[in-house]
Amino acid sequence: MPEKTFSTAITNFVDKALRQWWWKVICIACLAFTVVGGMLLPVPRLNILNETIRNLYYHVPMWITMMMLYTAGVVYSIIYLRTGKLKDDIYAYQLTVTGVMFSIFGMITGMEWAKYTWGQAWSNDPKQLGTALSMLVYFAYLVLRNGMKDEEKRAKISAVYNIFAFTLLIPLIWILPRMVDSLHPGNGGNPAFKSYDRDFSMTIVLYPAFIGWILLGFWIASICIRINMVRYRQENTYQFEIEKHN
Amino acid sequence: MRKAYIVTFLLSLFTALTAHASANDAEMADAMRSNGKIYVVVMVLATIFAGIILFLVRLERNIKKLEKKN
Amino acid sequence: MANSFLSLVRKDMLIEWRQKHTLFGVALYVGSTVFAIYMMAGQPEAKIWNALFWLTQLFVAVNSVAKSFLQEHPHRFRYYFTIVKPTTFLLAKMCYSIALMLIMSLVSLLLFSLLLGWPLEQGGLFVVITLVGSISLSAVFTFLSAIAARAHQNAALMAILGFPLVTPVLMILSNLALKAIAPVYQPGWWILALVLLALDLLIIILGAILFPFLWQE
Repeated sequence: MPEKTFSTAITNFVDKALRQWWWKVICIACLAFTVVGGMLLPVPRLNILNETIRNLYYHVPMWITMMMLYTAGVVYSIIYLRTGKLKDDIYAYQLTVTGVMFSIFGMITGMEWAKYTWGQAWSNDPKQLGTALSMLVYFAYLVLRNGMKDEEKRAKISAVYNIFAFTLLIPLIWILPRMVDSLHPGNGGNPAFKSYDRDFSMTIVLYPAFIGWILLGFWIASICIRINMVRYRQENTYQFEIEKHN
Repeated sequence: MRKAYIVTFLLSLFTALTAHASANDAEMADAMRSNGKIYVVVMVLATIFAGIILFLVRLERNIKKLEKKN
Repeated sequence: MANSFLSLVRKDMLIEWRQKHTLFGVALYVGSTVFAIYMMAGQPEAKIWNALFWLTQLFVAVNSVAKSFLQEHPHRFRYYFTIVKPTTFLLAKMCYSIALMLIMSLVSLLLFSLLLGWPLEQGGLFVVITLVGSISLSAVFTFLSAIAARAHQNAALMAILGFPLVTPVLMILSNLALKAIAPVYQPGWWILALVLLALDLLIIILGAILFPFLWQE
């Protein structure tokens, strides 16, 4: 079947890429530059925000990384439904769990930032509401997984829920913030951050920051995946060998 | 081999940019936070970051050992 | 295929008609809510009326649609597995839930108007929005009750899974409904209604694609 070879092509490529060292070195370099340069390099001088505009390099990438990890998790859920190998379910679950961790970081840092710039930690801003909703959806995913012990059943049901929830989440998160006034830049009449960055002084740190944090998210997920694959191999050696040779 | 070239190029680029940045002094910081204390903050952040990265690298090595053992 | 679809829907409707379990249960629930609100707050103004109505719709949906998959005995699914295609089964359940939910929405609208007044200027528009909303709510909860039925038959699980997904839909619906409450006709409301209809279609198609994977044991 043409679809199955596509899935196995993706999984083989990712298996090899997980263990390479070069993208991890790029991650460390980008993050080191973000940490040092993000604090020392010049930024636009704006009222209300003052120095906190530097949070752009640390808070926004949390959400971007979360979305990329969730997308990868959904891809692996689809691959699991195609191939039926438990290994793909392990990948999907670890990617999604790492995404949940990043979303918690993003929410907490967002609330801390809001408390000192917008006045209060929670201001019913639609973007905050939309992201809180996405966190609830994935907490429900974790609850769903915890309730089942049978591995195959758990894998199948959580894969179905993952695809369903993600596909509904994307339009809902897109539609909601555009319907209502917002404090976030770029929505509800506020100019987007691009207009703040007139001399590109922020862009030079922003893109390495995005790359560094995204790679860090995948690095952490890859470590979790590899730990669980070792455990899977030890506990379920027979099934592991069957799946490897299929 | 090509990967090593790409990585070396990027590393040198970042080093050059960072070096150039620290040549400008702390007067670039906002009026609220000047007098050179910003470097203390950067040192703290860099220590935390280095600690996390070292921890991750150690984890990687342990996992590689585990995988090889099986 | 149309034959098995129709007979499945007919079977569900017959079961419901003989016991009238859901119909009376939900009508009682809405009636007592309306009565309690009237006793506590009299006739609320338009915005609060709207909010209370949509909140009641949410709980009506959870109560009436939960039974669609959760009342079947788990072993009976194996029997259905041998006689009918999974897509047909899911679509039949969805069709039945949508029909049930439509009736319950109209009943609750009637009960609301009896005691709490009718603050709507454009009643027809509000009824249309109610119907569209019932379709989306019941479609989402049908699929989620299928998931919950597979994972240990827990109705609470369905509520946990459903609440985050349904909340933005409710917000869109109440936003739309507010436009129907306003005394002036506001152009551009139909964009949101179209978006909602597209969302309904997405839910139904997604459910139809994903259900066969749930179906296999």
